[in-house]
Amino acid sequence: MTDVVSFENVGLRYGLGPEVLRDISLNLEAGSFHFLIGASGAGKSSLLRLMYLAQRPSRGLISLFGRDISTVPRRELPALRRRIGVVFQNFRLLPQLSAFDNVALPLRVVGVKQSEIRRHVEELLTWVGLRDHLDAKPATLSGGQQQRVAIARAVISRPKILFADEPTGNVDNQIAARILHLFDELNKLGTTIVIATHNEALIRKTRRPVLHLEDGVVRSAAGDEDAGTPGDDKPAARLATENGRPA
Amino acid sequence: MINRRRAWQPKMGGPHKMAIGRGAIPFGHDDASRFLPWMLAFMVYLAALAVAGLFILADVTDKFDRGIENTLTIQIPVSESVLSDDRKVAAVLARLRRTLGIERADALGRSEVSDLLRPWLGATAASDQLPLPRVIDVTVDRSKGFRAQNVRDALEPIVPGIVIDDHGAWLGDFLRAVRGAEMMAIAVVFLICLITVIMVIFTTRTGLGLHRETIEIMHFVGARDSYVARQFALRFSLMGLKGALIGIALAVPSLLLLSVIAKNSGIGLIPDFDLTTVAWISIGATVPASSLIAMMTARATVIKSLTQMV
Repeated sequence: MTDVVSFENVGLRYGLGPEVLRDISLNLEAGSFHFLIGASGAGKSSLLRLMYLAQRPSRGLISLFGRDISTVPRRELPALRRRIGVVFQNFRLLPQLSAFDNVALPLRVVGVKQSEIRRHVEELLTWVGLRDHLDAKPATLSGGQQQRVAIARAVISRPKILFADEPTGNVDNQIAARILHLFDELNKLGTTIVIATHNEALIRKTRRPVLHLEDGVVRSAAGDEDAGTPGDDKPAARLATENGRPA
Repeated sequence: MINRRRAWQPKMGGPHKMAIGRGAIPFGHDDASRFLPWMLAFMVYLAALAVAGLFILADVTDKFDRGIENTLTIQIPVSESVLSDDRKVAAVLARLRRTLGIERADALGRSEVSDLLRPWLGATAASDQLPLPRVIDVTVDRSKGFRAQNVRDALEPIVPGIVIDDHGAWLGDFLRAVRGAEMMAIAVVFLICLITVIMVIFTTRTGLGLHRETIEIMHFVGARDSYVARQFALRFSLMGLKGALIGIALAVPSLLLLSVIAKNSGIGLIPDFDLTTVAWISIGATVPASSLIAMMTARATVIKSLTQMV
């Protein structure tokens, strides 16, 4: 399997502050499914930001889809980003747009025809249970509904990688299970999934590999058998050999 | 309810036609761009007046250039008797007709001289009691060796104190002054364009700051800088158009009012404010020009600013 995400000795600091991520080395294979866990402030969001090209590393090498991102010209970044879906922790829905238009945005920016946009977006919003809220503005939706809109926006263009930062943080267990089912289905279709979460029940239930981030360092990659019990000091470099696909 | 029976699978079609789509950037909530149309309206108003001034000055230059460049006026001072004045006029006319480069020389009657003086003297100019100098209107051909000094030398012995007013001499200074004013009008138009560009740059930058979050999201979902820039360009071209229409709607009545005032003033020195069709078209062109400047400036500013984003 080819690696879609590869980190080599990556470090990140904001401004002149201390390094929030240190010596991160990991490889994520195409079609893998990983959880990313760690205490608040451990650097999960920063690691995800590096992965979804919101941030450049202070040092080290990051490759996405086999391309060293430090050498990718700016004009080619949109093409890379179109292969990435992101579910932000705070959703980051555009408040002036309806649920429909928020989800349609990734298709609009690539020039998909309006008729196709309507068909795909309605189908997806129906699938996530928001058929009756197509025209609702984010402010009128509950946290869980906003989260589902954000997830729909992230997956509408069938990304090759999906990064989700606490995607089940605002929903009840039933909705969380549905969202996870969606991610599972996408993963079966070949999408690489990385989910940052605190939800240990979710991790235990799905039995997927876990990346454990502690004080800015990836400490371990827990496999199916010890999912949710990180901290066995496996070297981060070993992450490159983890498959991450379900057993 | 979520349909759990099957996963959602998007069916991406074949080649898609490019569509701008609904604007994702909420410009309507943006205070920074709310005042731009009014500032642009003011700029277009000034630009329209400057363009009109340019055409009026060009018209003045043209009229004077063609009208009196090849003329001169000779004044014979009033003497003690009309008979003596008539003799002097006849002698001067006879000498002029033998002078190189003189095409035509006609003595003006008393009523014509009175008419010339009326703007300055009013009804007094028509009084028989007022001693008026005799005036000879002369048309010259400067290409045939005419020299004002030669005429002066020839006529001074005939009528001591004769006044020879070569229009070509002072017209040169006058035309230089008018052309200087024309250059100033052009400079004003350029200055207005420059100020408009600067205003649009600052408003665009403010907009980029206000909508940074939206732009980041657009980037994350794969929007190119050109897509973001197109939304700004469209918005600013519409604001430019709106501002220009307001400006032109104020400028046209102002120009018509100036025309009426100029016509009713009765002062011959004030130029005619009747604008030609070309002038009106040029004034009207400030509308699309304003929109175009706003659009291109906004687009360039956005493209340049976004290159500094991740």
